[in-house]
Amino acid sequence: MNIELMEPVTSAATSAALQPKVSIENLAFYYGDTKALKDINLTLYDRKVTAFIGPSGCGKSTLLRVLNRIYEMYPRQRAEGRVIVDGVNILDSGQDLNMLRAKIGMVFQKPTPFPMSIYENIAFGVRLYERISKDEMDERVERALRRAALWDEVKDKLNTSGLGLSGGQQQRLCIARTIAVRPEIILLDEPCSALDPISTAKIEELIDELKADYTIVIVTHNMQQAARTSDFTAFMYLGELIEFGDTKRMFTHPNKQQTQDYITGRFG
Amino acid sequence: MPQHIVQKYDEELKKLSTLIVQMGGLAESQLASAVEAIVKRDSELAGKVVEGDAKIDTLRNQVDDFAIELLARRQPMAADLRVIVAALRISSEIERIGDYAKNVAKRAVALNQAPLVRPVHAIPRMAALVQALIKDTLDAYITDDATKADAVWARDEEVDELYTSLFRELLTYMMEDPRSITPCTHLLFIAKNIERIGDHATNIAELIHYTVTGELPKEDRPKGDDTAYAVVNAPGGTR
Repeated sequence: MNIELMEPVTSAATSAALQPKVSIENLAFYYGDTKALKDINLTLYDRKVTAFIGPSGCGKSTLLRVLNRIYEMYPRQRAEGRVIVDGVNILDSGQDLNMLRAKIGMVFQKPTPFPMSIYENIAFGVRLYERISKDEMDERVERALRRAALWDEVKDKLNTSGLGLSGGQQQRLCIARTIAVRPEIILLDEPCSALDPISTAKIEELIDELKADYTIVIVTHNMQQAARTSDFTAFMYLGELIEFGDTKRMFTHPNKQQTQDYITGRFG
Repeated sequence: MPQHIVQKYDEELKKLSTLIVQMGGLAESQLASAVEAIVKRDSELAGKVVEGDAKIDTLRNQVDDFAIELLARRQPMAADLRVIVAALRISSEIERIGDYAKNVAKRAVALNQAPLVRPVHAIPRMAALVQALIKDTLDAYITDDATKADAVWARDEEVDELYTSLFRELLTYMMEDPRSITPCTHLLFIAKNIERIGDHATNIAELIHYTVTGELPKEDRPKGDDTAYAVVNAPGGTR
């Protein structure tokens, strides 16, 4: 199968105006009979970082998992409503899931390198979608590793196992693997929760660079991280979207009392 | 507002506001004493006010130090962030109030050495009004009462008007009797200092409004001081 993928537009083309990239409309989600998301309406903007925050079980990871339909890997989970990405409802039954997941990449809480070489960790994913020459592949691997700010640390040991890297390096390898298939949207599910502060800072620096080319969604328990990295913040509670807005406003004067109580660490 | 999950955080914020209130109370009594020193022509009391300003400065350093510590350790958000940032700014406003009270006291010493002039009586009236502004501001601060803070903010106009009328009166005295120029000039500066204290009280009121609502007051504050445009016509002469 030959799939044509769009190269992300570079930051130079980014205009000041906000362009919607993903529109989530009346979304509900069920784990069996349990309703985990209730009537979510939310817009994710192109080449902006949006953070989902909220206490455990509020549905923020669930919402992230809907965006690339990764939940379909599990039985008895279903979504209702619409998720429009570039004008197309990705919840439609006709949606090609492989293509969707190439366009919308995901990085998980724990680094998940494959038990293979650093080079292969990246090439493996690319081969699923494209057939390219060895030279092209070398170039693709290098670009992805450079983009993920890992190249300088691994360029002399590309054939050693990805499992030999530190936690922070493994996470950046996973980001490189995601970038290599040229996605437009990157979903980060608690990407730093297993990392030390230095590795965390490197990932945050990376997020800041990547948002020039990609729309990024980050789920995090760390409020300061949401405040540091995101342009927009969505606060969720018990499966509902309580408040969504500009990150600066959300962390200086949120409109809703529930948001206030959560981000200031009060009993709500 | 509900309590913090970490109790100590609540205690720390309480401590911060206690320091601010302590500072404000001290500044308020410094002004009262400075004015008393004028009315009673008590230079000894004036001297005590001048010395007493150091206490306000010390408290200001304590507030700043503690607020910075809270910023570093608690990484406050939303309402907590506003409370702490406002405390930093309010402490410097009160510190300025203290400086003006000290200046009033210094002038009192000089004034007491000159013959008594009649407009002195306008000073306590103006000071009483400004003291009430400070007191209401502190009350609004303790109770997180934006409405009360807004009232202070609007009432400063009265202080400005009193100042303007005193300014006119003093000019008249000085023109009538050149021997009154020295005491009247001191009085003019005293009145100006008190008027400035009123301005700082309204700045604090604005910060309280910000702490409670997340926004600074939108309209411009009403102002009643037009002395900046005053011109003197010498008696009988042409300009």
